[in-house]
Formats: sequence, structure tokens, C-alpha cells
Amino acid sequence: MNRRKSLLLALFVLVCALAVAPAFAQEPTDVHVWVAFTDYRLDWTQQKAAIFNEMFPQYNVIVDGYANYEELFSAAALAAEQDALPAVIQYFEVATQDARDSGYFKSIASALGDRTEVNGVQVDLADFIGPVSAYYTLDGEFTSMPWNTSSAIMFSNMNLLNAAGIDTPPATWGEVEAACEAVMALDAAPEFCFTWPNHGWFFEQWVAQQDAPLANNDNGRSERATEVVLDSDAGIAVASWLKDMKDKGYLYYSGAQGGDSWATVDQAFQTQQVAMAAYSSSDTAVYTQTGVDNGFDVVASFLPYNEETGWAGNLLGGASLWLVDGLAPEVEDGALTFLLWFTNTNNAAEWHQVTGYIAIRQSSNDMLSTADWYATMEPTASQVWKDNALVQAAQGSPWFDANPNFIVAANQLAQSTVDVATSGALLGAFPSIRNVITQALDTVLLTDADPAETMTAASAEANQILEEYNLLNAPE
Amino acid sequence: MDSSVPLLISVVTGAIGAALIAYAFSRAHGNVLIGGAIGAIAGAAAPLIFMLPLNYCTFEAERESIDVAFGLLLIGIALIAVIVPVRWISMRLLGHQSVIARQIVPGAFKGKWTPWLLLAPTLAILVLFLYYPSLDTFRLSTLLARLGARRTAFVCVDNFTRLAQDSGYLNIIGITFFISIAIVVIGLALSLAIANLAYLPIKGASIYRTLLIWPYAISPAVAGIIFLLLFNPTGGLINYVLNGLFGIKIGWLNDPAAAPWAVIMASVWKSLGYNILFYIAGLQNVPKDLLEAAAIDGANAWQRFRRIVIPLLSPITFFLIITNMTYAFFETFGTIDYLTGGGPVNATTTMMYNIYEVGIVNNDLGKGAAQSILLFAMVIGLTVLQFRTTGERVTYGA
Repeated sequence: MNRRKSLLLALFVLVCALAVAPAFAQEPTDVHVWVAFTDYRLDWTQQKAAIFNEMFPQYNVIVDGYANYEELFSAAALAAEQDALPAVIQYFEVATQDARDSGYFKSIASALGDRTEVNGVQVDLADFIGPVSAYYTLDGEFTSMPWNTSSAIMFSNMNLLNAAGIDTPPATWGEVEAACEAVMALDAAPEFCFTWPNHGWFFEQWVAQQDAPLANNDNGRSERATEVVLDSDAGIAVASWLKDMKDKGYLYYSGAQGGDSWATVDQAFQTQQVAMAAYSSSDTAVYTQTGVDNGFDVVASFLPYNEETGWAGNLLGGASLWLVDGLAPEVEDGALTFLLWFTNTNNAAEWHQVTGYIAIRQSSNDMLSTADWYATMEPTASQVWKDNALVQAAQGSPWFDANPNFIVAANQLAQSTVDVATSGALLGAFPSIRNVITQALDTVLLTDADPAETMTAASAEANQILEEYNLLNAPE
Repeated sequence: MDSSVPLLISVVTGAIGAALIAYAFSRAHGNVLIGGAIGAIAGAAAPLIFMLPLNYCTFEAERESIDVAFGLLLIGIALIAVIVPVRWISMRLLGHQSVIARQIVPGAFKGKWTPWLLLAPTLAILVLFLYYPSLDTFRLSTLLARLGARRTAFVCVDNFTRLAQDSGYLNIIGITFFISIAIVVIGLALSLAIANLAYLPIKGASIYRTLLIWPYAISPAVAGIIFLLLFNPTGGLINYVLNGLFGIKIGWLNDPAAAPWAVIMASVWKSLGYNILFYIAGLQNVPKDLLEAAAIDGANAWQRFRRIVIPLLSPITFFLIITNMTYAFFETFGTIDYLTGGGPVNATTTMMYNIYEVGIVNNDLGKGAAQSILLFAMVIGLTVLQFRTTGERVTYGA
């Protein structure tokens, strides 16, 4: 009796094990990825994840979208408090210092070790173009995976500029003003001439162009930054120029700041209420297509600079993908596999074409310069890419020849002198400090406040935020 | 800090407590000595409520005078919070009345534990999601704290005293009151007028009434988006109409003088349905015979409205003032966030919105917590004031 019982028990255990074992073998490892997009860019990312999941059935990459960088940044901090971080988080460039200080992340270099491939996907970090790998290499270590990289450029409505007798988009602040004078003198003049998103990034761009740093200790790159300078000559020049443009009736300022400001510029440019808009190259595809749809010619050009100080170069912007520290080994491997595949030659090229973000790999740029890129990319391409009108229209010819707007941001970065100012600042609490910057410009533009005094007051406020941040976050 | 400070404070508050309770006992013909002793103990213990967690930091030598003043204010509040209930309880004990009224209520629970058992789910939720976070807010308000930071730093009452010295914050308080009062006054006046019209016995009145109540069912965020489209300075419908009619364009979202009005209009519209609903119900309860009698006496429509309808509606108005004030202080957040984001030049940043900007957007938890405590205290103060002033003029009977 007893023997029979134990035999039955053994049989039962065996059956259970058999039933469960294949389930274990087939159950893919979940890899959660958080990105700061909710539009077609999220669709694209999710479609790429689906293709990846088919190619690597042992993994299940799940992509969640957040409304903007700022919101994702807060969500990550909250998730960390609750020990519920995903495997990969997209952090924007100004959160780099916060990301380093947080201790949530592991550098890509240390996760890779000396592997040259993960699950058959090649590791080729040297293929990333110069400014990109420079920005995300911290203390000599490749820290986060570059993904969406952009620069600030300008889009011009050439129909309006041509009507005013201007053939090429203006290159300097003075030329923008002169062009605006001509545009506003037209019989069919638009309501305004120029607009820009009141987002801290543009202030940073214009300050960097004048070769002025934003923070001490070499913009926070030789040592932790302890002081922000918003009231440098360069900073005051930016505020004064914008105020001057506003006073003359050339500048349209919607009153929206930070993440809310982008859409207001889109609207003004699309409805032809302005002739020129400073914007991120990230939306080159949308802006170019807007012109096609609304019957005007859109030309991208470098972001105008202060002719009195000259042009040193521009910063890159955008975000990178950070690998969370302390993941289970199979999750970390899945995340690494995805990151390497997701930023490979074809995918980097595809991402560039559907958005306008810079093609971050040299090999992608090389491929797009040939005429047969379409056939090379099609087998693993997403539906968003296949549905893209610009991509379809450019088939059969080198991509940049068919779409010259798409090379502007890359050229702007390539021609930039890489120095302390144009590398961009590494600052703690930078997202909060950006809010101080946009608030200050808001005050300068909408009240009679003196630009210099306003920027000095903003500096004091920003420094207090930085001091408090460093007090709480700097390693002892 | 001088180590004698805690002792000195407790001696002073103890003396005040002793004097107050002893006086109360003498008036009630009780033993003055016992009263004095009770008062002394209560008074001496009161400052500990705030000063134990703060460790008497407001009286440290390097603190500014505003910190000392704030510390004294806290002690004053603690003293009131302790002495008033102690006096009440001891007076009832003195009068040999039971502190807790123990009447046999029909249908009362027999066991001691059954009511607690039944209350437990509610209490658990309240403790977990309301009381604990509230208490934690007090702790946070004394800290320099950022979400995700390695550590926090104790800053005593700096988060509060800095607010008093911050002209930007005083401006925000002004804006909050301006926007809130405008929402309440315009909202109530408008809804009373519309309710009067909707109450008229005309064909299809019930359809009009239903349509008028709709905006109430829309969330503040959706209201914000609707008005964002309407108020858009360049492409919005309102400026299109204004431009066509009068040739003017108003910078609803980028003119600091106009933006508060955009928020006020959106918020008034949003709460209109709720107010109208209550006013229609109120109008239905105004006795017809009073109005008829007044009409026979020769009172015209306006006089009847002014002298009879408005006074009879006063309980409803009073209730609506309280709910609308709460709405204006707390629930306009969604509308503001979607409509103006607190701008331009902070012209629509209310106290509530500022808490979100400081505490959530900028991650500065300590300062956000201090501001929310201040707002909390202010709303309590306002409600008490409402009950004390307006409440007395409310007529509940015909």
C-alpha cells in the first residue's frame, strides 16, 4: 500500500514536470522598454520590437510610451523607489547627469564586457559617428546606447522668402531680422515672421554657438558642475535678440514652454503664419511633408547664429537608451541583444528616414548614399517606414540627394568645433534648470523686464537648484 | 542653541496653560489648584507636538528672526490645540458629566468589537491613503528632498519661511485668490441667471435644462483642451470671431493680462452645469404663495427676485460658495495644466498648480510639501471664515 502510494506520487511528479518543462522552455523572457513617445515614433518602435521578437523568440520585448521626456524622467524615479524599473529606459541628454547620479544604470561597455557579439548580433560601437559617441562616452566609458540624436536647425517656408526676394535661408540673427523686414513688407505678409519653441534646449544651442559654457568646471565635464551661468554675455545676447524680434513684431511667441511648446510651433509653421521656425531636426520628415501637403517648399538650414560672436558649433540633443543595473542575467542579455539590433545599420537608417533624427552609424550614412538602399532595407523594415511617402518617393536615388533637408543636422554637427561649450553641459537637476530658463525668456518677452536683470535673477534661482541637487546627490 | 531653551519654552507655556485652566476652574467653582496643575502639565507638554520632531531648531543661534517668529507661531498653535480640548474635558468632568454621552441608542451594537470590525475596511483605507500620507507631508516639509536622490537634508522650517520672503510666491497667492473669487462670483451669478431662465415654464424646458447640465460631466482636462483650441491666439475660434466682428485679437494664452480670464471662463463654464442644477432645484422650492402675495402688494419682478428669491436661495448659495471655492482652489488644476501650463509669466499659476510644478515637475518634494500644508491651512481657514460670516446670514426657513 505504502509502496503503491509513493509510486503514484512519483508518477504524479513526473507528469507534472513533463507538463511544465516545455512551458518553461518556451516562455520568452520579458524585456520592458520605456520610451518618451506616443506618436508614430512609438508605433515604429513597437513594430521594430515585434520584428525583433519574431527573430529572437526567446525574448519578448514590450515597449511602453510616455508623453514626453520630462514625464518619463519622473516615472523612472518613481519606479525606482518602488523597485519596478524596466530593463531599458530612454533618458534625454540633459538628464545624463541625473542618470549617472541615480545609480539605477549600468554602462553598456561594462554590460558587454569583451564580447564581440550577443546572440549573434554584432557589437560595433566604433561605427557610431563622432559627436554621438563623444556625447555618450562618460569618463572614457561607453555609457548609454545612442538612439534618437538631433540638433537644432531652422525650417524656412521658401515660398514666403522667395516672394520677399530672398533665395537662401538666412544664416545669422541679423540676416533673420533683415529677411523678416522684407517678409513683413509683403502685401500678403504672414501674421509673424519667425518662431521658436521656448524650450531650454534652444537657449543652450544659441549660447553654445557663441562658444560660451553654461556651467563651470568645463561645462561639468572635468568635474561636477557647481555653478550655472545664464547671465553671460552670450545668454543676455540671446534674450535681447528674441526681445528685439518680438518688439518689432517679427517673433511669434505662443506662451507655451518646454514640452508644450513644440506643438505651437508646428501649428504656426503649418498654417503659414510664420516664414521661418527654429526647430529640432527630429521632425525633418514631418516638416518636409507638411510643405508637400500644404503646397509650399520647405528648406532646412543651420540654426541662425549671432554674427557678432561668430559660430563655434551646435550641440546635439535627443536621448539615449539606458540599461538598468541589477537585472536578471537573461533579461540583461535580452536587453543588450535588443539594443544592439535596434541600433544596427538598417534600423538606424530606417529611424533616420521616418523621423529626421541623425543616422547615428557611419555605415547607415554610407548605405543611404547609395542608390539601392531600398532593396537592402526592405526585408526587415517596419510598416511605418513602408508607408512613409518620402521614403517611397526617394526609391532608386541616393537618399540625401532626394532629400537634402535630412543631411543638414548631420552637417551642422560635423562642422562644429568640438570644445567645452559645444559639447553641452552636464548638470544635475538640468530639467528643472531648463524650466528656470524658459521662465526667464517668458518674462523677458511678455513684460518690460530688462533682459540682463532677468537673466541674472534666473541664474541665482538655477544656482540654488543646482546647489541643493548637489547637496543631495553628489557622492561623499 | 542654548540648552535651556526647551525648558524655558515649557515653563512659559506651562504658566499660560495653568493660568487659563485655573481661571476656568475658578469660574466653575472648582479647585483652582487642581485646575492650575492640569493646565501646567498640558501647557508644558503642548510645544512638544511640533518641537520634538523639529528638535527646537527654530531657536538655534544662527537662525534668522523669521524662523524664531515661525517657531513661536507653531508653539501658539500647539498651545491652542492642547488647551482647548483639555479645558473642555476637564470642565465636563468638573460638572460630573460624562465625557462621552452614553445613551442607549436603539439598534446599537452589543459587542465592543463589532462596530470596529465593520469600520475596519474604511479605516484601513483612510489610514493608508489619507492619514499616513498627510503625516508624511509634514515630515517632508522639513526636509530638502528630491525624488531619486541619495539622501535628504533636514532644513528646519526653511521651506516655510522662505515662502514668506519670496515675492513670486506672494504673487501666486494673489493670483489664486483673484482667479478663485472671480470663478465663484461670476460662476454663481451666471448660473443663477441661467437657472432663472431655464426655470421658466416654456416649451421644451426639460431639454434645455438637460443640455445646460452637460458641461458638468466633462473632466477638467477635457475642458482645458476644448478651450485650448478655442482660445488659441492665432488659429482659435474665439479670436477668429472677435477679429471678424471687432477687428481685435486677444492674446488669450500669451498675454499675462488676458490669460487668467481664459482660465476663469473655462472654469466657470465647466462648473456651470453643477451650479444650475442646484439653483433650479432651489427655485422649485421657493413657495409660490410668497411670490404671489408680493406681486399683489405691488412688488415688481426685480423686487420679488431681490427680496424673496435670493434670500430663500441663501442656503443653496452658501453651499455652492463652499463647493465652488473648493473647486476653484483644487480642481482647476487640470484646466490650467492643459490650457496655459501656469503661464504666461506665471499669470495663471495658482497655489495648487505651483505645488505640482515645484513638487512633481521639478522634483523638489520638501518645498512642494510645505506649500501643500500652507494651502491646506488656508482652505481650512477660509471654510471656517465662511461658516462664521456668511453662514450666519443664511436663512433656512421661509
